[in-house]
Amino acid sequence: MTLGDYLSLLLLIAGAIFFLAGTLGLLRFPDVYTRLHALTKADNVGLGLMVAGLALQAESWAVAGKLLLIWLLVLLAGASVAHLVAATARQRGIKLWRR
Amino acid sequence: MVARTVDQTEHLGFMSLRSGSLRAVLFALIWWILTDGATDSWLVGAPMVLLATVASIALLPPSSWSLTGIMRFVPFFLWRSLYGGVDVARRTLHPRLPIAPGLFYHPWRLPPGLPRLFMANTVSLLPGTLSAELDADYLQVHLLDEQKDFLSELEMIEQRVAAMFGISLPPSSRGE
Repeated sequence: MTLGDYLSLLLLIAGAIFFLAGTLGLLRFPDVYTRLHALTKADNVGLGLMVAGLALQAESWAVAGKLLLIWLLVLLAGASVAHLVAATARQRGIKLWRR
Repeated sequence: MVARTVDQTEHLGFMSLRSGSLRAVLFALIWWILTDGATDSWLVGAPMVLLATVASIALLPPSSWSLTGIMRFVPFFLWRSLYGGVDVARRTLHPRLPIAPGLFYHPWRLPPGLPRLFMANTVSLLPGTLSAELDADYLQVHLLDEQKDFLSELEMIEQRVAAMFGISLPPSSRGE
């Protein structure tokens, strides 16, 4: 394995840890709003790290660009959907959990 | 848009030409990425790029933006994303679940349209904040921890987004 391979491995494992943390947050957090926090933030970073790890292994610039494009589209979709879910919850009068 | 002077019309024409050609380059780049740079795909690709450019100009009128603003936004976004991920991961993995949710009404200082949408989406992706609802006057922000310094976070996002779109913000009405 080359240095690049080790770096890819490191980035992929780090990305997986963030996905795990995001999913754990989905299960542990008390209401819809806090769960959205866990998903948007952790998945943003998790996928970003995975994309970086895979881009290091890409055979061409076009493939690396495709990975970057996927990350940007997921960011856009994630932020938009999180906002739609939160706005709908607010409009339905779902109260936010407070300590 | 009643009586537009010749100067303004010319200026608008120049803006559409400039952003039109920039968008065409961007769409061509996306096509090149999607087809892995296959040369014979341009027979379909070139008309598609043209069509996409026309559609985008019709749907999203050209707006001003700043290249230095964008170049400053990217590292800011990446760094704050990483911080946000670590922050939320730490809270989920902590046995006592240290969160103190709250709601904050952020008065808009950005002009309506794309800048506001851009800020709302950025707010949702960065640490501790989530765009809940937006109306004409306020952005409703859900906070994961209201004890944290979310004001400076929001202000930072607002300033960076304004710089990207080449907008100068009115002075803060918070008055501290």
